[in-house]
Amino acid sequence: MEEDDRATPSTVRDTYDRIASHFATTREYAWPEVESFIETTDALADRTVPATSATRPIVGLDLGCGNCRHAELLAATDAVDRVLGLDISRNLLETARERARTNEFSVALCQGDAAALPLATDAITVGVYVATLHHLPTRELRRRSLDELGRVLRPDGRALVSGWSTAHDRFDSDAVAETGFDTTVEWTLPGGETIDRFYHIYSPPEFERDLERSALDLCEWELSSGNCYAVVAGTRE
Amino acid sequence: MKESLLDILRCPLDKHELELENATYADTDGDTDAAEVVSGELVCTDCGERYPIDDGIPNLLPPDMREESPA
Repeated sequence: MEEDDRATPSTVRDTYDRIASHFATTREYAWPEVESFIETTDALADRTVPATSATRPIVGLDLGCGNCRHAELLAATDAVDRVLGLDISRNLLETARERARTNEFSVALCQGDAAALPLATDAITVGVYVATLHHLPTRELRRRSLDELGRVLRPDGRALVSGWSTAHDRFDSDAVAETGFDTTVEWTLPGGETIDRFYHIYSPPEFERDLERSALDLCEWELSSGNCYAVVAGTRE
Repeated sequence: MKESLLDILRCPLDKHELELENATYADTDGDTDAAEVVSGELVCTDCGERYPIDDGIPNLLPPDMREESPA
């Protein structure tokens, strides 16, 4: 069960490269959970006073940014000096570039792998890692990506991590099971062609356990709209 | 990408700093802070791995994930 020969990071990338432009048109609006996190996070509190050079610039990260709808929220936040959008799919990054141009916000874009982040330790003060972790095809990669987020996130920084869960109405499964399951969910292109997308559906106890065992500090977590959401902090080595 | 992004970008393999080589810039009237790097390579100062900047977006995927997608 642990390894799925059909899904690799490269096939996930290829899937999103293929569906990118259609996918992006269906992802216009930010999630309310993300809006709420950015508005209230401790990481950005008290940043209106001049921060020390050690904490500037305040960098926001949208990890698995897709069309950058959440990077756009970060870019609109006064306390954030600079925003980086990172995604595995080049074609999704092109939709992000187009959205930034249309909606007139500033975001630096980078193609990269969530399990091997091309970022400096403690570079990030506020992060959004939503609806992406569940696309990483093995548990080892998912846990490595959480460790990587823990490395790049400052100890006084905060990130919101989400994953689809067994508690969602869509799944007829036991929400208190120790572990979730792997599945594929079809994406239907405008012409009717369907493309399978890999998902790992987390059981809530598994989500909590993987976060607790990672290099992240788990501050709090909850279930909302069938997704697990965690607020996490970076850890000091 | 702006050159200032090198402050936070690192090699995905060993997390060492990257150096910009063979850069071409978009015309920004000599304002170097605003200069956009359109193409070039980011080279790891430790392992020497080279990462392309393609049409302004750095590709910092690990080398084994960098191969072209099927059309």
